Amino acid sequence: MTPELIIEGVSKTYPNGVQALRNVTLNIPAGMFGLLGPNGAGKSTLMRTLATLQEPDTGRIRLGTVDVLKEKDTVRRMLGYLPQEFGVYPKVSAYELLNHFAVLKGIIDAKQRKETVEALLERTNLSNYRKRKLGTFSGGMKQRFGIAQALLGDPKLIIVDEPTAGLDPAERLRFNNLLSEIGEQVVVILSTHIVDDVSDLCRNMAIIGSGQVLLTGDPLRTIETLRGHVWKKMVTRDDLPAYERDCTVISTRLVAGRTQIHVLSGNRPDATFEEVTPMLEDVYFSTLNAADVKAA
Amino acid sequence: MLARIFAFEFRYQFRQPLIWIASILYFILIFFAITSDAVSIGGSIGAVNRNAPFVIMQMLAVMTILGTFFTTAFVSNSVHRDFELQTDSIFFSTPLKKTDYLLGRFAGSLFLSWFSYVAISLGIFVGSLMPWLEAERVGPFQIGPYVFAMLVFVIPNMFITGALFFSLATLTRNLLYTYAGVVVFVVGVLTAVNLIPDLEYRTLASLIDPYGLNAFEIQARYWTVLERNSLVPTLTGNLLLNRLLWCGLAAVVLAFTVWRFRMTVGGTGRASRQLRQATTEGGPSAVAPARAAGATGRAFAPVRPSFSRGTAWAQYLHQARLETRSVLRGIPFVIMMLFGLVNVTGATLTVESIAGTPVWPVTAILLPNIIGSFILVVLLVLIFYSGDLVWRERTLRMSEMFDALPMPTWTVWTAKLTALAVSIVALMTAVTATGVAVQSYRHYTNYELPVYFKGLFVLAGSHFLFLAVACLFFQAVCNNKFVAWLLSAFIWILGMVLPALHLEHLLYRFMAFPQVIYSDMNGFRPFNQLILWTSLYWGFFCIALLAVAHLLWVRGTEPRLRLRLRVARQRLTMPVRAAFAVAVVGIIGSGSWIFYNTNVLNRYIPQDRQFDRQADYEKKYKKYEDMEKPRITDAKVDVDIFPERRTADMRGGYVLKNKTAAPIDVLHVGINPDVVIRRLDVPNGRIESEDKVQGYRIYKLDPPLAPGATMELTFDVSMSYPGFANSGARGKIVQNGTFFDSTDFLPHLGYQKMAELDDPNERRKRGLPPIVRFAKVDDLEARRNTYISNEADWVNFETTVSTSADQIALAPGNLQREWSENGRHYYHYRTDAPILNFYGWLSGRYAVKRDHWNDVSIEVYYHPGHPYNIDRMLEGAKKSLQYFSDNFGPYQHKELRIVEFPRYARFAQALPNTIPFSESIGFIGRIADDPDAIDYVFYVTAHEVGHMWWAHQVMGANVQGATLMSETMAQYSALMVMEHEYGRDKMRRFLKYELDSYLAGRGAERIEEMPLYLVENQPYIHYRKGSLIMYALRDAVGEQPLNAALREYVQAVKFQQPPYTNSPEFLDFIAKAVPADKQALLDDLFRNITLYENRATKATWAKRDDGKYVVTLQFASAKYRADGKGKETERPMDDWVDVGVFGEKGKDTPQEGKVLLLEKRHLAPGEDRVEVVVDELPKKAGIDPFNKLIDRNPENNIMAVAAGGPALPPGSDLEKHPGPVPAPPGTGTAATAAGDAPAAAPAAVPSDTH
Repeated sequence: MTPELIIEGVSKTYPNGVQALRNVTLNIPAGMFGLLGPNGAGKSTLMRTLATLQEPDTGRIRLGTVDVLKEKDTVRRMLGYLPQEFGVYPKVSAYELLNHFAVLKGIIDAKQRKETVEALLERTNLSNYRKRKLGTFSGGMKQRFGIAQALLGDPKLIIVDEPTAGLDPAERLRFNNLLSEIGEQVVVILSTHIVDDVSDLCRNMAIIGSGQVLLTGDPLRTIETLRGHVWKKMVTRDDLPAYERDCTVISTRLVAGRTQIHVLSGNRPDATFEEVTPMLEDVYFSTLNAADVKAA
Repeated sequence: MLARIFAFEFRYQFRQPLIWIASILYFILIFFAITSDAVSIGGSIGAVNRNAPFVIMQMLAVMTILGTFFTTAFVSNSVHRDFELQTDSIFFSTPLKKTDYLLGRFAGSLFLSWFSYVAISLGIFVGSLMPWLEAERVGPFQIGPYVFAMLVFVIPNMFITGALFFSLATLTRNLLYTYAGVVVFVVGVLTAVNLIPDLEYRTLASLIDPYGLNAFEIQARYWTVLERNSLVPTLTGNLLLNRLLWCGLAAVVLAFTVWRFRMTVGGTGRASRQLRQATTEGGPSAVAPARAAGATGRAFAPVRPSFSRGTAWAQYLHQARLETRSVLRGIPFVIMMLFGLVNVTGATLTVESIAGTPVWPVTAILLPNIIGSFILVVLLVLIFYSGDLVWRERTLRMSEMFDALPMPTWTVWTAKLTALAVSIVALMTAVTATGVAVQSYRHYTNYELPVYFKGLFVLAGSHFLFLAVACLFFQAVCNNKFVAWLLSAFIWILGMVLPALHLEHLLYRFMAFPQVIYSDMNGFRPFNQLILWTSLYWGFFCIALLAVAHLLWVRGTEPRLRLRLRVARQRLTMPVRAAFAVAVVGIIGSGSWIFYNTNVLNRYIPQDRQFDRQADYEKKYKKYEDMEKPRITDAKVDVDIFPERRTADMRGGYVLKNKTAAPIDVLHVGINPDVVIRRLDVPNGRIESEDKVQGYRIYKLDPPLAPGATMELTFDVSMSYPGFANSGARGKIVQNGTFFDSTDFLPHLGYQKMAELDDPNERRKRGLPPIVRFAKVDDLEARRNTYISNEADWVNFETTVSTSADQIALAPGNLQREWSENGRHYYHYRTDAPILNFYGWLSGRYAVKRDHWNDVSIEVYYHPGHPYNIDRMLEGAKKSLQYFSDNFGPYQHKELRIVEFPRYARFAQALPNTIPFSESIGFIGRIADDPDAIDYVFYVTAHEVGHMWWAHQVMGANVQGATLMSETMAQYSALMVMEHEYGRDKMRRFLKYELDSYLAGRGAERIEEMPLYLVENQPYIHYRKGSLIMYALRDAVGEQPLNAALREYVQAVKFQQPPYTNSPEFLDFIAKAVPADKQALLDDLFRNITLYENRATKATWAKRDDGKYVVTLQFASAKYRADGKGKETERPMDDWVDVGVFGEKGKDTPQEGKVLLLEKRHLAPGEDRVEVVVDELPKKAGIDPFNKLIDRNPENNIMAVAAGGPALPPGSDLEKHPGPVPAPPGTGTAATAAGDAPAAAPAAVPSDTH
């Protein structure tokens, strides 16, 4: 039985006064859990806290029966963590370092370790570069190496912060497959900017803004709630301010050089608007917008 | 544009931490060097002011050597960072001219690094203002020396080293090569500096040193105190040449660099090549992957980890291996190690030599040299890598990933500590290999690996490990790499500073190396306990440090102390608590034991309290110095030595006789306060006062001792060295090689001047008047005593000494009987001629070699491992006995013995018929190998045997000049024996070293230089100058007449009763041997400090019709008298001086060449040329060519002779061709090139030229 991760009332303020987390409470069941939010929303703080790297000011975190904040060693034994930014020992080969990490993850048996290291190198498409010094790796290769190390040792809690950043589309797909393959039985927390990844992969998600949880739920269901409320229209740049004043514009984007706006509304604002089948992105932007309005 | 780049560069680097670190470090270092004696960088000694111009210039110049590393960092960074940060493409695509770019960057960074020297100057200036400095040793502020040092040393040296390494960095675009270059460069320079002591290479050493330091030190080598306190050198001669040479070379290199440099992008280094490969190869794979879409590949079956104790151990091992490899393969490590090894090689190849003669490189000698020349490298490695390792994951930005891994926290720091420990082992192994290689190279194969192991791995190694722990602790706790680095350096500096502040106890001096000396005779034995317990104590302390480091170890992204303390509580598990408990119990336990040993079993007396005590002794008892007291006439002392217990029991008595005309009713008895007095009986005496701190008793005699009557003083005392002392002092009673004398532990009568505090600065601090070293030469009151004892004239001495069964015990006197009893070895010695009241005892496991001269038996007692020079000693003793008996009078004993003692002290000494000789002096000298070497074993032996006449027969009164009749005459005696054995040419070589030592010794004088006949026990005068003066005197009056006069003197004064002889009386006897026209010589040699400046300026020859050659030598000569502080006044020349002409150099000739002519000429004021006739073609000529006169520039006395003119008829001389003689083309320039020849020679040739 895979444990559930329970986060209760976690707050964190940095010495420079930035309040990174405000009373965050989340229940994260087994399976893939998406974490969405803009830069500086507190995603990384939350993930580092879950990964035993940081102390919250207040709050409790439990993974099943384990107190994450106190029993760090126990948590680390179940953890697979890929930070958003990371480096490597430059003068060591990929195989060597992954092998080293495997030891540090507690895979002591040399034969087992060899198998798992080679399997992971293959799954991350690094087999060809196993002898290569990590200092010569390109960004994408390094990112794949990071993914490999996070998956070492049968983790029960996988925390991946922007895992697909820097990967080309093929590699990204490959990674998503890998993750979903593993993600059935364990808690996987996936933080990303790519909203589609969450809707593709996750059964649960949360949107965080300014350190607060703004929305939690099943991505598909949250999308359902917006059905019939999202409308789009092509506008000129000059008209944009007027629309922003009169309607709830949740997003603007350029389509073939022209500006398309999405508007949230209970009914069609006027005939020039077209109904849109909502996407998770609409949920995301509308949630953030609502939070902004509240804050203002 | 150049100016803008200059300014940009300056501002950019000014904001970087390095310049600030360098400046602060320099300031602190210099501040301590000026204000304490703990840190020394050149620096002031004796009476030289702490801020003397010499000190300022030397410090600034020396610091430019260290500064090379910083200057290189700045200048190489100035261009290299563009390659590194890949901003080169930005800069190089602008319309910037490469000259502006390169020179602007170079000048800007150079100007910046100059600020670190401003910090040094400030350190000197601020340091010299500190109120605790003795006012007498702080001179007035002078700007001159700073300006001179900046213009002549600092700025040129920055330019030279900056240009070289800027060029290297710019052209190679590789910092590794650049720093390797710096290392090679600095090591090369240090080797050049090491050449200085070798007289032969001075000019070369002046020129090849790019820092100009050699040239400066050679110019200032013979400066007196006065000159060091006031003079700024002149920018002339070799110094000027050196500066021009190196600045010119640097400019050429810089120009070459500008010419060669191409403003092209991209390094040529390996790293960038790999990077390019990586990106090109990475390309296709990224695109490759149709198969990517599907979840192909091997099914991923996760392996479940297992966590047990074995897991943590495996994790530790794996991590430790990785960390260790990263250190050992690191470029800085390799460079620092190589740098250190080269330094060690240099230091060990040139180990202790005496007068240019090498010694066998025994491990005991190499050890301190190895540690001394390598310690800095180890410290740098530990300090640097502690920071590097602790911060590695964070620097590489992999700490988040790494810290979330499930290994226990202890494995992380233990792995890093292991890496440091392994690097210590690696360094020690490398240095041991170097030592062994040096020994092999010098054909010494008794490597004594256990000594290396104990000295380097156990002793030094444990201390380095402690430092490693401290560094790791600082890095873990401070959470700021630079602050922790500073603290680590501070801990080390503190280890040096504390003793200077008289905070000397081992219990709080963290980095204190106990003062350990390995002796071949006695091993490490006296120090074993000390080493063991201090290591345990600091070991426990380090456990505590590590426990704290463990608790506060940063794991994660949370560096704030408050939050780390919260985590620390979670980490405070049972094992950690247990470690704390063990550490605390261990610190208290071993600390108590140390304290018990240092402060209860032994006395802990820091240096300043020792000085206080000496001052108190003087303040309390000096008033009794001239009190009438009875004299010892007989001494009978039985001694039992227990080497393993380090104890000696001494029983016996003195017969005291009242030699005065009045009754004596008070007896003062002093004794070393560390001695246990079991019994001290003064018949008819009643203790009136007893001072246990000073060991001073006053007895009232009732009835008083009548004139002419005798009494007996008997005693039973014991001295032992229990446990270990804080100072690590070796003690004189040791397991093998005990040696103590009668002044050490036996009772003595009255106040002893010998115990007075003699450092002028320390006396001043304690309100004592300046020391009067000796009474005036004609003080009749003082002449009632010899300079060796104020409690006896000549005594009869008898002793029975016992020691353990495996040792031989020795004492002065002829051996009466030798026997074994109760498992101990007994010896009974008795003198059959009166001796001075000065004797001693020795005991050791000796090998013995015997010989005899006439009916005198000669024995050498030596450590079986030191058989090298025993025959030289026996030979020296025989030749000496022969020469001295023939020339001065009979030898007074039937035996003569030389006895080795451990290297805890470095001297040889003459007790009556017994000569203790340190293992570090003669026994390991390497005489046989080098035919040119000076046989100083022979010489030291002859000197000590000479004392059997000059000290043990003739003894000067306790007034100025006393050592003239002992030390100087022992020197003269030894010189004569040596000259007969080895010839005059060898003697000249030897005297060159004597001259050098004398002139250098003048600069270190602490009070006042005295003329020889008033010498106040000043070694550089009575030994060094004494040799030169007596040799010159012998040269002037002849060996036979001089020895006849000396013999007369010996016969007149030997074994005399008071008043004792003094130097004027001695000179009166000598004067009889000096011809009437040379009497003035005695004034110059003995009664004044006389210095000459003789210089050959031009030498030419012309062939006469009869095939002979007329040599014309032009010269400059001057004569000075100096006062005690070194102030000189010129005196008119009125001297007989050697003029020499030399021919071809051959195998058996002196090194100047075959002597064609050597005669004394009388020189009057203003004379500057002589003309002589020789039979063969002259090559060289000179004035005082063999340096018999004391000349501060002995090298310029001689020069090559050039062909000077057409053939001349016999009898003609060059006066008939006034004015400069035209030189034939191609031959005449040699002479003028060597010296600045005057255009015309106006002086008349004196009448006695032919």
